[in-house]
Amino acid sequence: MISTQEKPRFLKLEFDIIANGDCALDIRFSAEPSELLSRYIIGLRQYILKQDDLKVIDLIPAYQCLTITFDPLLYLDESLSREVKTLTKKFLKATNSHFLEREPCVIRIPVCYENSFAPDMLTVSEYTGLTPEEIIELHSTSVYLVHMLGFSPGFLYLGGLDPKLHCPRKEAPRLHIPAGAVGIGGGQTGIYPQATPGGWQIIGQTPIKLFQPYNTSPFIAQPLDTIEFYSISESEFNDIAPQVQCKYSKESYP
Amino acid sequence: MSMHFIRAGLQTSIQDYGRPGLMHYGIPIGGAADPLSMKLANMLLGNPLNNPVLEITLTGPLIEFTCDVSIAITGAQFKTSLNNRAIEYYRVIQVKRGDILNFSKLISGMRAYIGISAKISTPMILGSTATHLISGFGGHHDRAIENGDRIGFVDTWTARPAKLKRELQPNYKLRPLIRVVHGPEAGSFSQEIMEKFSGTSFQVSAQSNRMGIRLSPSINPSREALTETSGKMISSGLYPGSIQIPENGEPIISFIEGQTIGGYPRLAHVIRADLHRLGQLNALDKISFQVITLENARIILREKQKSLEKLQREIATETRDLLTL
Repeated sequence: MISTQEKPRFLKLEFDIIANGDCALDIRFSAEPSELLSRYIIGLRQYILKQDDLKVIDLIPAYQCLTITFDPLLYLDESLSREVKTLTKKFLKATNSHFLEREPCVIRIPVCYENSFAPDMLTVSEYTGLTPEEIIELHSTSVYLVHMLGFSPGFLYLGGLDPKLHCPRKEAPRLHIPAGAVGIGGGQTGIYPQATPGGWQIIGQTPIKLFQPYNTSPFIAQPLDTIEFYSISESEFNDIAPQVQCKYSKESYP
Repeated sequence: MSMHFIRAGLQTSIQDYGRPGLMHYGIPIGGAADPLSMKLANMLLGNPLNNPVLEITLTGPLIEFTCDVSIAITGAQFKTSLNNRAIEYYRVIQVKRGDILNFSKLISGMRAYIGISAKISTPMILGSTATHLISGFGGHHDRAIENGDRIGFVDTWTARPAKLKRELQPNYKLRPLIRVVHGPEAGSFSQEIMEKFSGTSFQVSAQSNRMGIRLSPSINPSREALTETSGKMISSGLYPGSIQIPENGEPIISFIEGQTIGGYPRLAHVIRADLHRLGQLNALDKISFQVITLENARIILREKQKSLEKLQREIATETRDLLTL
């Protein structure tokens, strides 16, 4: 358990409560995404989960937002919104509530950046003005923070992409992206856990599976863990892939 | 005891209420695309409303039963026969061992549901037997049913006769007017675009699935407006029913297996009370949207819940009447 009594000096913790359809509420912070803001959001999530009288279904953290889903038949007025506002204020004010219940881990993930796995490498190269080698070097030497899981089962939203690698999403999402594809979308980078449609520029692929529904721990990382990528060749990819297909345990990778 | 799928149909799968509460792991709720039809099938059989059902999409299966069991079919209307004799939907049907259930031509809607007075022996994964078709887990061997599959039962019971009056059965031939509330980024779109959105008759794209329902035409928001919105946009939990506007301006409704966090600005959000209607939208269907207030959305939901409860009582009464005949 990590506990910090320290109050942030440069983080304005202003927030709004906004309806996200009729089954969800957003607690939105005006501060820019940061590790500190994510710590607050994860801490707030744990704090709200502890309120037994609150009938919520799910709390979905994001970079600057915590979405609360609920059964609208149980809250047919603004009472949930009011309660959440009070709780959030209380949490942010408390000096000892900025805590996390779990020690974050470092997870190393192999990525093959070779041509057959990187259909958008040239697009990213043209947009950023970097050579593919420079892109791979920058991408695999950074340390990334897991801000949240989302999009599809086990997908990790990572912070820490080098600004030189920022590249816009595709105009219309691709209808098929293979499982393990590593992409860049705007200022974000990440791995597609399953074959899905998606709008990011694909620059590589990992043989690791990010979502193992039959494992006792189906996900390789949790919010606030850190991720490091390391470059592997196509033949190394082909060596790892079958092992992962048969059995993958969190202990063997990294 | 099993159902033997001689022909599987285009996308037949085991579904229930899905997996609510796991969106923070990126796992969408999933489950029946039209949960109302699923509930009605279970209601008719006197089952728990969440008892797993078979969801049939677009082209139906040919099923042989290897045991006696009661079934009820709801949702999209297919030409359907039991041992070559036409059968009615929205009523309890007693099926005997060796009976053949055949779904042929689709008449209206998109997805039919077979409720069964049995416990399907498919294991629960992450709290549900629902098949997550996009991510490939849950249900029968993590996939849609294939030709030759057998879906086993561990338990069967006989349901009392029951039926739903024709006038109470959903009608999918009418063009749906889907009610929506403003989405989290509605304020970033101009008044003109908002009016265009409510005034347009959209067509459902053939590329729609359980993840998302794609619509055309584009509402052509200016590129500047979208870039500005995207730049300012705060990604947050994307609940089924969110209507996102990607850069090409063609709306995408996030559906039951949709991504759990949003990347594109959300102009509107389909109200919970109308969400089940999305499960019956077929390619090329026309739909339009009516923007209402959050307060009205709640009133509509409460009313709809009341009529569903009334329906449940009526089915129970109906059952009693049929038994005394």
